Amino acid sequence: MEKVIIIRYAELFLKGKNRGFFERAFETNLRRAIQAYEHRLIKQSGRYLVRDFAEEDAEAIMEKLQKVFGVHTLSYAYETASDLDSIFEVAKGLCRPNGTFKVESHRGDKKYPMTSVEISKKLGGMLLDYAKGKLAVDVHNPSFTIRVDIRENGLALVFGEFIGGANGMPVGTAGKGLLLLSGGIDSPVAGYMMAKRGMNVDCLHFHSYPYTNMQAKEKVVELARILSEYTCGTTMYTVSVTHIQEEIHEKCRPELMITLLRRFMYRIAERQAKRIGGQCLITGESLGQVASQTIEGMTSSNSVVETLPVLRPLVSFDKNEIIEKSVKMGAYETSILPFEDCCTVFLPDFPAIRPKMKDILHEESKLDVEGLIEEAFTTLEKIEL
Amino acid sequence: MIYFDNAATTKPSKTAFDRAGEYVTEKFYNPSALYVEGYALQGELKKARSALLSKVADEAAFEWIFTSCGTESDNQAIFAFARRGNAITTAGEHSAVSAAFAELKNRGIDTRIAPLNADGSVNVEKLLDFVDEKTSFVSVMHVNNEIGAINDVNAIAKLVKAKNPRTIFHVDGVQGYGKIPFRLAKEIDLYSVSAHKIGGLKGVGGLIKRKSLVLPPYIIGGGQESGRRSGTENVFGIKQFEYAAEEKFKTLKADYERLTKYREKLWGLLDKELYTRLSQESGTPYILSVSARGLRGEVLLHMADDKGLIIGTGSACSSNAKNRYSKVILACGFDEKIADGFIRISFSPATTENEIEEGARLLNEIGKDLARRMK
Repeated sequence: MEKVIIIRYAELFLKGKNRGFFERAFETNLRRAIQAYEHRLIKQSGRYLVRDFAEEDAEAIMEKLQKVFGVHTLSYAYETASDLDSIFEVAKGLCRPNGTFKVESHRGDKKYPMTSVEISKKLGGMLLDYAKGKLAVDVHNPSFTIRVDIRENGLALVFGEFIGGANGMPVGTAGKGLLLLSGGIDSPVAGYMMAKRGMNVDCLHFHSYPYTNMQAKEKVVELARILSEYTCGTTMYTVSVTHIQEEIHEKCRPELMITLLRRFMYRIAERQAKRIGGQCLITGESLGQVASQTIEGMTSSNSVVETLPVLRPLVSFDKNEIIEKSVKMGAYETSILPFEDCCTVFLPDFPAIRPKMKDILHEESKLDVEGLIEEAFTTLEKIEL
Repeated sequence: MIYFDNAATTKPSKTAFDRAGEYVTEKFYNPSALYVEGYALQGELKKARSALLSKVADEAAFEWIFTSCGTESDNQAIFAFARRGNAITTAGEHSAVSAAFAELKNRGIDTRIAPLNADGSVNVEKLLDFVDEKTSFVSVMHVNNEIGAINDVNAIAKLVKAKNPRTIFHVDGVQGYGKIPFRLAKEIDLYSVSAHKIGGLKGVGGLIKRKSLVLPPYIIGGGQESGRRSGTENVFGIKQFEYAAEEKFKTLKADYERLTKYREKLWGLLDKELYTRLSQESGTPYILSVSARGLRGEVLLHMADDKGLIIGTGSACSSNAKNRYSKVILACGFDEKIADGFIRISFSPATTENEIEEGARLLNEIGKDLARRMK
């Protein structure tokens, strides 16, 4: 009897001729996720098995696998000889002390002497006898389920529950995007959402040291690291927008500070994306959440991006929906640490909610846009995560 | 590099470090052991205890308990004695006391916070108004860590005891010990000390206690420190503290006078268009707090750091506006603009006149630079 982890994937099946491409990406990501632990990963008719791992690593391995996109469900399972007595020995151990149960069987080996229904009935009977009245069968609403999977190799997998995976598509199968990562709640979730659809995500963070501090930057690095568990690694770039903010502060109308700054950020982001082979920008904007995230604000930022699409996976999400996802991905506690990622020193009391393009262009004409962008790029730093 | 954040911590004394080295390399034994090598260390700890205590108090009336830090000493004192009726402290306290008082409140103790005068010292009249027959505990800091105000804790203790002799009087002496000429009056029951503010190491503290006061221990175990603070003693840290304090107390008066001159010199050199003085002349010479009104203290801190000048600030760039400003600065009656621009410049005996001049030059330079960038 050996303990194994069953990894099932779902959506990949839909991909017809490209299936090999998806499976290779998936397998690479699985291996990367659990590379820190001793194990063997084996592909077996439409699923993967992890075996030969240390018992004490099992939980950590499960946790890592749950973060790999493309994983539909996982199960801890015991592999044993496929005769009913051996199966019964394992199934005993999976039973709860009392309650209702059912047995579900699946027969991969069609030459097996019993049908699935017969296996379930027989095993269920054996377990009832064993429990001496403490268990009852309920096929509609059982408190737990024993599952048996008879394989072709004379072995059977016996397990209890399906544990939900991250679903989605394997990262690396849908191109590459550059995420504008702030220290807030939204942007890590936006990165998560795009990775879920198979996109490789690199991050770009803007800081304004000395108006913001090192703790704020460390916090963003930590957010990128949390995200990297889902994106199978990420590269984080940081760029200082300190001088840009100062120039806007000095020369332009204060209520347009954020609008103008965002246009700089988008321009820098597009250039950086192109440098690294990125095919889109990703932001955590949600319509109407703050003053700069109105449709007018988005129009203003979008209009400086020349060729790449700007993807906003959270555009229609409520804040509490985003928070829910942030909690789920494990970023929330870090996101709410009280360090400012964008300095409040320059924030206007009343930012423009519906900036007019005419005003924006007029204010922007007072600035050396090209020079400032070039200067900002001299502060570019790169962190591999 | 100019280091002007000595109120946060001081550079440990190298001489004391070398002298105490044998307690790491050779005399590493457990002082509670029964063999000669271990037992002999008890004598060494006793010497340290006596040396550190006698600098500020009468050994016949007081005793010294080693702890792990000033915060532990404060917590030990507060949670041992503020157990019923009401407990009083000031609006100027370090969080080691103020947060412990918040916890007292959660536990159902009636806590009363005395307001500050404009210079940062406690308003003694208001504090005394709070004292009644149910007052079990009063805690007043000796020297304020943010603005440098000195409280005459001996006099305050006398007044409190006159009103209620059963009240236990505690002093957070972390910024006072080894810096301010001072001896404990008999009305003080407890006085907290930290080693690393005067050339000692982090992780070593002390609690001075009136001998006749029975102290319920906060940490229970092997019965070290006569059962009042269990845990194997940090012999090296304690000896290094003893030697560092020996050096520090030798020059205490001279340091006090010299640093008073330096503090005034620095203030004289600072650009008054940029900086408003918060610390008063009556405060400790070790701290000069100023505010770059309209600018943000933390931004100045980063800019100074980039130029090789380390200063302190009470405020962290917090997105929570409630926590952004120093509560102490606001409690002195300053507005939020002043609190936002607050920086703390703090000295040690190692501070030189050159550093004062260069420090002032840099502060003026970065202040002007930031004011220009933010105009």
